[in-house]
Formats: sequence, structure tokens, C-alpha cells
Amino acid sequence: MSKFVPIAPSSKSFETHNAYELGFSDSTNAYVKKSDPGIDKKLVEQISSEKNEPNWMRELRLQALQKFELMPIPTWGGDLSHIDFSSIQYFLKPIDKEKKNWEEVPEYIKQTFEKIGTPKAEREYLAGVKTQYDSEVIYGSLKKTWEKLGVVFLSMDEGLRQYPDLVREYFGTLIPFGDNKFAALNGAAWSGGSFIYVPKNVEVTMPLQAYFRINAERAGQFERTLIIADEGSKVSYAEGCSSPMYSSASLHSAVVEIFVKKGARVQYTTVQNWYRDVYNLVTKRARVEEEGEMIWTDCNLGSKLTMKFPAFVLAGKGAKGETLSIAVAGEGQHQDTGSKAIHLAPYTSSNIVSKSISKNGGRASYRGLVHVGPQAEKSKSKVVCDALILDDQSRSDTYPTEKVFTNDVELSHEATVSKIGEEQLFYLMSRGLSEEEASKMIVRGFAEPLVKKLPLEFAVEMNRLIDLEMEGSVG
Amino acid sequence: MSIDISEKNGMQEIILDKKGMELEIIGNFHVKGTEKKEISLRIVHKVPSTKASVKFHGVVEDSAFLKITGTIVVEKQAQQTQSFLREKILLLSPSAKAEAIPNLEILANDVKCSHAASITKINEDQLFYLMSRGLSQKQAEQEIVKGFLA
Repeated sequence: MSKFVPIAPSSKSFETHNAYELGFSDSTNAYVKKSDPGIDKKLVEQISSEKNEPNWMRELRLQALQKFELMPIPTWGGDLSHIDFSSIQYFLKPIDKEKKNWEEVPEYIKQTFEKIGTPKAEREYLAGVKTQYDSEVIYGSLKKTWEKLGVVFLSMDEGLRQYPDLVREYFGTLIPFGDNKFAALNGAAWSGGSFIYVPKNVEVTMPLQAYFRINAERAGQFERTLIIADEGSKVSYAEGCSSPMYSSASLHSAVVEIFVKKGARVQYTTVQNWYRDVYNLVTKRARVEEEGEMIWTDCNLGSKLTMKFPAFVLAGKGAKGETLSIAVAGEGQHQDTGSKAIHLAPYTSSNIVSKSISKNGGRASYRGLVHVGPQAEKSKSKVVCDALILDDQSRSDTYPTEKVFTNDVELSHEATVSKIGEEQLFYLMSRGLSEEEASKMIVRGFAEPLVKKLPLEFAVEMNRLIDLEMEGSVG
Repeated sequence: MSIDISEKNGMQEIILDKKGMELEIIGNFHVKGTEKKEISLRIVHKVPSTKASVKFHGVVEDSAFLKITGTIVVEKQAQQTQSFLREKILLLSPSAKAEAIPNLEILANDVKCSHAASITKINEDQLFYLMSRGLSQKQAEQEIVKGFLA
């Protein structure tokens, strides 16, 4: 009968009591540039000249700043009223130039990333990495095999320098600055992020990865990512994020634009683990052409407030979009996440699976949109949201919207909210597990359908993070 | 207790504030021509041990528009709540438009709550079957709609 005895999770996870391991910080004394708190025209011009940008980009930044100043702060979703835009440092440049060789990176930054584990991951299974530290990408690499096939993987700043025409053609076309206040802010203050171009029919079989680290207190990080997957190509991109433990809030506001050309496939994976003082307000959108496929895998564990709704615009016949998202909201956290599917062409399909766990007074909200336009006949969409609430202090919401403008479609949405089943707990405890072990196992089972779709190394990490999050939350 | 809100329009609110209260709410909506109908129902569970079940069926013909918003709110003290909401909408013509917004706001943990919504056209197998029995397409559609809204 031994095979029916559940395997207890490794004892290591039970010994760790501090649920946030990445809360250390480095001094900012050695930084090359540190802007004064607050943002104005002068600073935006300064950032632009610091980066030696072409005139059109400088103009775009200034227009975006104007939009940012004019647009009101959103009143829906999470509580944004406590963000003090004037206390944030918008530009923090730790070193003068991105390094191609890990040895050249300053020792203190190297140690930070060694602790996080990125260099090891790069050696073992990645096609290329970018590591961003506050405002700048400090290190980047791409294996020769991919370089030879014409794959471009640069920091956004470097991408603009080397491929100005390509950047100009796509930059800000999918997420214009007027899209929302935070996209406008990003447009004005953007720095760092990734620029990826995959040529026709090239399949990048190893993942590309970026790691975003906020180090300074009251920092603003505004990375900008642009991915262009040309016809028939495939690429998988993963990003991780973390920050030190401070008592004052930092702001992370990224913009990610992805162009999936005919028959191409892009998978974008995020494991967001900011410390619980970070406002994470991110706009992510993909445009998918004929027979193309976009997959968002979105894991939100950290931050004070996350508002992020990865979207795909299914613009070509037969285009497909998929979002798999998981959110864990603990004490003082609000995860307001979801996904948007915009069907514009016939035979398009979308599939959204969202799982959330709220505990210790946390709040998890699913907010989504499925829009089927008049030209999108024979389209299909399925949305499934499952939520677990672990105690009576916590909250879970579901706010989906479905809009249909043609009749030959299949659209469905379902959502359930429940607590951990008492029969399940009782069964596991009768097999000898403690209440905490049993709860962890049930939560891991709840998240499993999603976790198993993550790239392997992220799946291991996610399971570990979920175990840590569950530490001491029962009993 | 059963409540039919088929004839209602606009914002409706139903509050469950007596322990052990059980409610069934139904709504059948049929819009045609250029008609626009919006109905919004908010079910609030205020006390422990209440049950609610909502079933909305909608049929949209021609260039009509139907918007159904259904919100289940479970307040913090309303433990042992069971609440379910279902919205089904059939679109009969390519220019028919519909919007379904089923919301959940759950502040208690010992609850069973779910919602489901679907927007589709008439099932083709059902149409084919009825037409093979001698009905015209129009008649077959009418029969299916009649059954759907019954």
C-alpha cells in the first residue's frame, strides 16, 4: 500500500521561517547617476541625452510625460491613492555600461545575482540573459548558436542604438502612451528592458531570460520590452523580479509589447516576487497574426499591489491566445490580475485559466475581458477562474466581462470560490500528515495544473515559493 | 422562495438578511429588432447560512443588444453561504450583440460560490434534428428558443 502514502515535502522547506529570502540590499553610493526624487521635463530630457537617443525618441518621451501629467489616477481596481510620485527616484544608473562579460560586473552586484541564482541558470539551460539592476541592464549575453541564426537579444537601450528603424516601426504602436497613466509614465521614464527579434522560421529552443532587481529605496523601475517574432519563429522568454525589504514604497511600471507574426509562437513567463512594499503596475499586450500563438504564464506572489492584465489581440485568422495565471495574496497584499482577449479575426481562440489563493487578510481579484468583434465569427473563448480562501480575514473577487458582437461564437466563463475541503484535510491528516503539511499539499495540488505548464526550473521555484508562502499560515 | 425578474429593467438588488433564507431567482429575456436591454442584479449575503441560486437565460435576435450583469456579494460575517449564478445567452443573428458580466465579491471563507456564463449561437445538431423532422429553419429556431426560455 506504500504507493498511497503521500510523499511529504522536503524537510528543507519546513525549516525556513522567513518567507522572503531576497530582502537584502546593496549601498547605492557607487552609482554613476542618481536622479533627485520626482519627475519633470528636465529629468526626462536628461535621461534621453544620457542615453544619446535620436530626436524622435526624445519627443516621444516628452509627449508621454505630458500625457502622464494630464491623465487622472485610475480609481478602479486597487488603491493607488498612496503613491507619492514626487518621492520616487526615476533614474538610477548603477554602472556606466552594460557588461558582456560577467567578470567585469562590480563585485557587490555580482554577489546579489549569485544569491538570486541567475548566473548558474545561465550556465545551465538558458540561451541568453539580461540582468537589470534598478534603471539599467548591467549584464547581457546570448549564446553564439543563436547569434549566428540572426536572433537579436539586447537591452532596449542598446536595441534602439543598433536597430533604430525596427524600434521606430513598432515601439509604442501596440500600447500607445495614452493607454493608461502608467504606460504614459513608462513612456517618459523608460530605461532598460529587453529588445528581442527572432528571424523567420528560427526556433529558439532554449529560453531567453531577464531578471529585474530593484535595489535602491523609493526606486522607480520602468523597463520597456519589445519582442518581435517573425513568421514561423518560436521563442520563449522568462522574467523574474525581486527587491529588498524597505518600509517605503517603490514603483515598478513596465510596458511589454509583443508582435507575433504569421505562424509564430511566443511564450512569456513571469515569476513576480517583489517585496511587499512595491507597487507593480504593468501593461502587457501581444498582437497575434494569422495562425500565430501567444502564451502568457503569469505568476504573482510578491508586491503590495499588482495590477496587471496581460492581453492578446488576435488580429489574424486562426490566431490563438492563452493565459495561465496564478496569484497568491497574503497579509497587506492585493493581487488585481487577469487577462484580456480581443478577438478581431475569424477562427480565433482564447483560453484563460486563473488560480488565486488569498490568506492572512490578503485580497486576490480576477479582472478580465473577452471581446469578440463583428468580424470574429467561428471564434472560441474559455475562461476558468478558481479561487481558494484560507481564512475569514481574506477576500476574493472575480470581475469578468464578456462582450460579443457576432453570433457564430462559443464563449464560456466559469468561476468558483471555496476553502480547503475539510474532507481532504481530514483524509490527509488521518494518513499521518500535520495540518500544515496537509494544507500545503492541497494548495500545491490546486496550483499544479498551472505549475506543470511552466518551464521546469520555474516550476520547481514556484512550488518552493508556494510552500514558503504557506509557512505558518495554518493553525 | 422563487423570484422572477424577467420583466424588470436596470439595477436590481436582493438582500439575504435572515439566517437560513433560501432564494431562487430566474430571469428570461428576449430582445428583438433594435431593442436594447440592460439588467443588473446584485445579490448580497449579509448573514450566515443563506442560499441563493440565479438562472438567467437570454435570447437576442436581429440587431438587438442584451447586457446582463450579475454580482454575488458575500459579506464578512456571512459564513456557510451557498450562492450560484448562471447566465446563458443565445445569439440568433450575426448582428445580435451581448454582454455578460458575472461578478463575485467574497469576503468570507467558509462558502461555496460559483458563477458561469456562456454566449453561443443555436446548437446546429438541434437545428438539424428538428429540420429533419420537417420544420423550416425559422420554425426550428422558434421551438428551440421557446424551450430555452421556458
